[in-house]
Amino acid sequence: MYESEVTEMMKKRVPALMLASAIALSAAGCSGGNQPSSGSAAPSTSGTPSSTATAPDKDLVVAFNTDIQSMDPHNTTDTLSITVSRTMYESLVTFDENQKVVPLLAESYTAESDNLTYTFKLRQGVKFHDGTDFNADAVIANYERCLADTTLRQNSRVAKWESCTKVDDYTVAIKLKEPNSSFINQFTQFQIVSPKALEEGTDLNKAEAGTGQYTFKEHTEGDHVTVVPYADYWGTKATVDSLTFRAVPEDGSRVAMLQTGEADYIYPMPTVQADQVNGTDNITVGSVASNIMRYVTLNTNLPELSDKRVRQAMNYAIDKQAYAQVVFSGYCEEVLSCYPSTVSYYAPQTPYTYDLDKAKSLMEEAGYGDGFSLTLWGDNISAEQTGMQFIMQQLAQIGITVEVLPMEPSTLSDMIYVDEDQAEINMWYVNWSASSFDADGSMRSILHSDMVPPKSANTAYFRNSEFDSLLDQAIKTSDTDTLTDLYAQAQAIVWDEAPWLFLGNDELVYGAKTYVSGIVLNPDGSVNVTNATLA
Amino acid sequence: MGRYFVKRVLSTIPLLLVISILIFAFIHLIPGDPVRKMLPKEATQEEYEQLKEELGFNDPLPIQYINYMKDLFRGDFGESYKSGLPISEIFPARLQATLALTLWGIVWSVILGTLIGIVSAVKRGKVLDYVGMVIATSGISVPSFWLGLMLIQIFSVQLGWLPTGQLDSWKGYILPSITMGCSIMGTLARYSRSSMLETMQEDYVRTARAKGQRESLVVLRHAFRNSLVQVVTVVGLQIGGLLAGSVLVETVFSIPGLGRLMVDSINFRDYKVIQALLMFFALEYIVINLIVDLLYGVLNPKIRYD
Amino acid sequence: MSETKQPVNPTPSEFMDDPVLQNRSRTREFFKKFFQRKTAVVAGCFILFLVIIAIIGPSIAPYDPAAYDYSAIRSGPTAQHLMGTDEFGRDVFSRLLAGARLSLGSALAAVIVGAALGTILGILAGYYGGILEALVMRSSDVLFAMPDILLCIAIVAIIGPGLINVIIAVTVFTIPSFARIMRSATLSVKGSLYVEVARSLGCPDSRILIKHIFPGTVQSMIVNFTMRIGSAILAASSLSFLGFGADVSAPEWGAMLSSGRNYIGVADHLILFPGLIIFLTVLAFNLFGDGLRDTLDPKVK
Repeated sequence: MYESEVTEMMKKRVPALMLASAIALSAAGCSGGNQPSSGSAAPSTSGTPSSTATAPDKDLVVAFNTDIQSMDPHNTTDTLSITVSRTMYESLVTFDENQKVVPLLAESYTAESDNLTYTFKLRQGVKFHDGTDFNADAVIANYERCLADTTLRQNSRVAKWESCTKVDDYTVAIKLKEPNSSFINQFTQFQIVSPKALEEGTDLNKAEAGTGQYTFKEHTEGDHVTVVPYADYWGTKATVDSLTFRAVPEDGSRVAMLQTGEADYIYPMPTVQADQVNGTDNITVGSVASNIMRYVTLNTNLPELSDKRVRQAMNYAIDKQAYAQVVFSGYCEEVLSCYPSTVSYYAPQTPYTYDLDKAKSLMEEAGYGDGFSLTLWGDNISAEQTGMQFIMQQLAQIGITVEVLPMEPSTLSDMIYVDEDQAEINMWYVNWSASSFDADGSMRSILHSDMVPPKSANTAYFRNSEFDSLLDQAIKTSDTDTLTDLYAQAQAIVWDEAPWLFLGNDELVYGAKTYVSGIVLNPDGSVNVTNATLA
Repeated sequence: MGRYFVKRVLSTIPLLLVISILIFAFIHLIPGDPVRKMLPKEATQEEYEQLKEELGFNDPLPIQYINYMKDLFRGDFGESYKSGLPISEIFPARLQATLALTLWGIVWSVILGTLIGIVSAVKRGKVLDYVGMVIATSGISVPSFWLGLMLIQIFSVQLGWLPTGQLDSWKGYILPSITMGCSIMGTLARYSRSSMLETMQEDYVRTARAKGQRESLVVLRHAFRNSLVQVVTVVGLQIGGLLAGSVLVETVFSIPGLGRLMVDSINFRDYKVIQALLMFFALEYIVINLIVDLLYGVLNPKIRYD
Repeated sequence: MSETKQPVNPTPSEFMDDPVLQNRSRTREFFKKFFQRKTAVVAGCFILFLVIIAIIGPSIAPYDPAAYDYSAIRSGPTAQHLMGTDEFGRDVFSRLLAGARLSLGSALAAVIVGAALGTILGILAGYYGGILEALVMRSSDVLFAMPDILLCIAIVAIIGPGLINVIIAVTVFTIPSFARIMRSATLSVKGSLYVEVARSLGCPDSRILIKHIFPGTVQSMIVNFTMRIGSAILAASSLSFLGFGADVSAPEWGAMLSSGRNYIGVADHLILFPGLIIFLTVLAFNLFGDGLRDTLDPKVK
């Protein structure tokens, strides 16, 4: 549990449980009240270009705001690396559009009734880009590599396996140490690298070592990665001539590239520019619902913030509509709980409707009619700074003077993950996205009393034994009705206790040329480019 | 001259050593470490501590420094914590991008800057002088990232004439190198003007003039040639500044050069990359100074080294 | 590095008389010469104007610079809002007026402190020589070897962001330039007749330094001072741009420009006006500095 989980939502990998429903949302336009995105065509799903514009060439360029951290499929954490590796590497199973796990490099798989052993029948006749045959030995070689190298990010996953054995040339059995219902979901991220490349120690940053639709062409560190279609691909072959992923951190430049046609697809599309460029220069802007919860933690250890009335007053003092408009240009939904509606067991509560009179009287009641001063921490990227300033302005209305202190993420995490008696935190402008779209993951690490820093990110120092026991009961329960009930109770407690300022749930926004189709933006911010076409 | 050269080169060694210690201490003073960012997000506190230990971040700083220097003397700059790539592999491509930009920036700015300097000096006190000097001073006064953003907006987005700065073709170099060269153009114009004015008062220029030589000849053959010393000095010293100034230009134009690597590495706390970069900048500064000193002697025989 | 080729401002001439004498006539001559430099005069007027704004700015601003209006965000220039409104609906013109104090003030503070430290170090190094000189000059070399902006980034990364810390960072990179210039100025004054005389009369060092050396070097200092304010403003705004800047909610010009850049193409006035005012201010200080140098430098006639 580290700061990256909280502060770097862009790097989230979300096993796409909710993927398809989220995409469906995007296709239908978002359901929010004043969503500027509603009605905008989503080329990712429509499949047909909405304009007569034609692509100038068959080279697809996708621009992201960060550079690729690692091209080693066993060592990816950021969504861009995952996006890129998915074009070249494949896993035994994957998610289909209906969030179901389906075979990919496997032909079929079976799970034993003990929930410990999984058997995979492998696809035959598949060749890696380097000519090696894909078979059971290849899978074993990948397992062994991940197990042996503790620096790999897949290491902690395979460490939970008891064994990975070859049944015959095209059958593999995986046995787990203990039952794990999320194993098969996580297994979709276990991509298979050519055993020959692994054995020879080939540099995976420039290796042709996958089985995917595309094969490696070039990688300029910090700038771009280019992949080209693999001629002997076993499935549907790619239709573009090449696919380039470019890092363009400056928002203005990224948009400019889309406008000039230097890029065909950009993500993220800065929300401030979205409406402006939508429909111009053959650009269409679309959005996808995310699982990102935006909030401000209130350190309940502070005398002023230990009073529930103060915390509620602060929530009443925030104009949520204005927040969505000012910070996200409308690409943000109101949230009526401590996690967004895209996550399971969402139970909407009575809104803290923007009401200054109520807020002020609550402050009076608590004995803070004259207000007090607080600091507000957050990342130093500009969108976060805008949000922090907004909070400052809103809280000033009820006499709370806020000092905005944007900090560099690494510095910030150093100041947050300290022992409780050294904690200097007052308020933290932050966001959270549960990696598995589940209720427990959306609350435990940031609200359970066991999870106060330095262990995890409960920076509100929220301690509620009733809430804790509800979560602890729920994790052992599998009955849906009981779960609904337990999680609803838990959410009600958090909402009423208000250890946070509940702000909203922002959307992921992309921009594309109208002649691009087939690109799918996932709710975790990764992009599936494999079926992209240029018309 | 040879002895002077050797002496100078030798004297840089302790300087470099001190700089390397300072940089090392400096970098590790920055709060935070790369470990959290290197780990998967499911990692536990133990895994964090374990990796930290493995990477040697728990050793006392002097030990870490000595280990680093040991590797360095074996020619091993280490690997980036962020990408896992050896620094010796990352560096050349990045340097190439920055160098190409810097060179193009210098080419146009030297030509234009010197020209403005000469014209201003010759037309001293006239309108052209004022115009020239205002242009030159503007060059050093404009915030380069602002200029870059404005140029992109005008020439790429509005007019659609030039790309926003991908260095794939020569067109991509135009906007970034304009942005980059502005300050050197300004500096150069200002110094070449004042040095021209100085040399034009020298006796030999007056003599040439008195002998009835054409003014343009006097200016070019005598005054300009002698003020070249200043030009070389300024260009030399500015190259160092330009490489660093590339931080801003590379950010605006999304060019993967040394400057952006620097900012990215600081954000990731990619210690070894930061160390290598800062050492490189320091070394480059020292080498350029040395070259300038030597050229100075060649161009201006009045100076002797002893 | 040998300082002979350093393109610093020329030092006062060797044959200058004791500046304590002839002060009045020099002043008059100075103004006479200075007013011949028209660009410098214009620049001087602009700086004067800025200083006035910095003093009275907040009181003449048409709006409260912090007053937001979410119903009028990012609107372009109108009669009501001369330079439009920003992402919170705040009046850009009022913010620029209010920001003059912050931006000029912080640049001035950084340069004053940097100049004071640099001057003291430079004069002492030049006067006493020896180990002190070696130490000061080698340290300057080390600082010079680090490009300005990188040095600032590193300092801010260590001590954290915020206006005061940005000022500290800018101060640190200001010191060596003053130390160098003042050292060479001191060296040239040190050899002059009046210092020799004072010394032979048994004047204490402190008196020589304050009464004789310092006034002789003050011209170089003033010129460099003016020029450095420009670079300080640029450095502070560059830091803001890279995310290492001052308080984001304050109407500091660099911070305004930096947050405005996200709205390029949507609300160009948010980047145009702050950028323009920074540019003009730096330009004015540089032109003014040029004028001063030309006037004070006896070599250019």
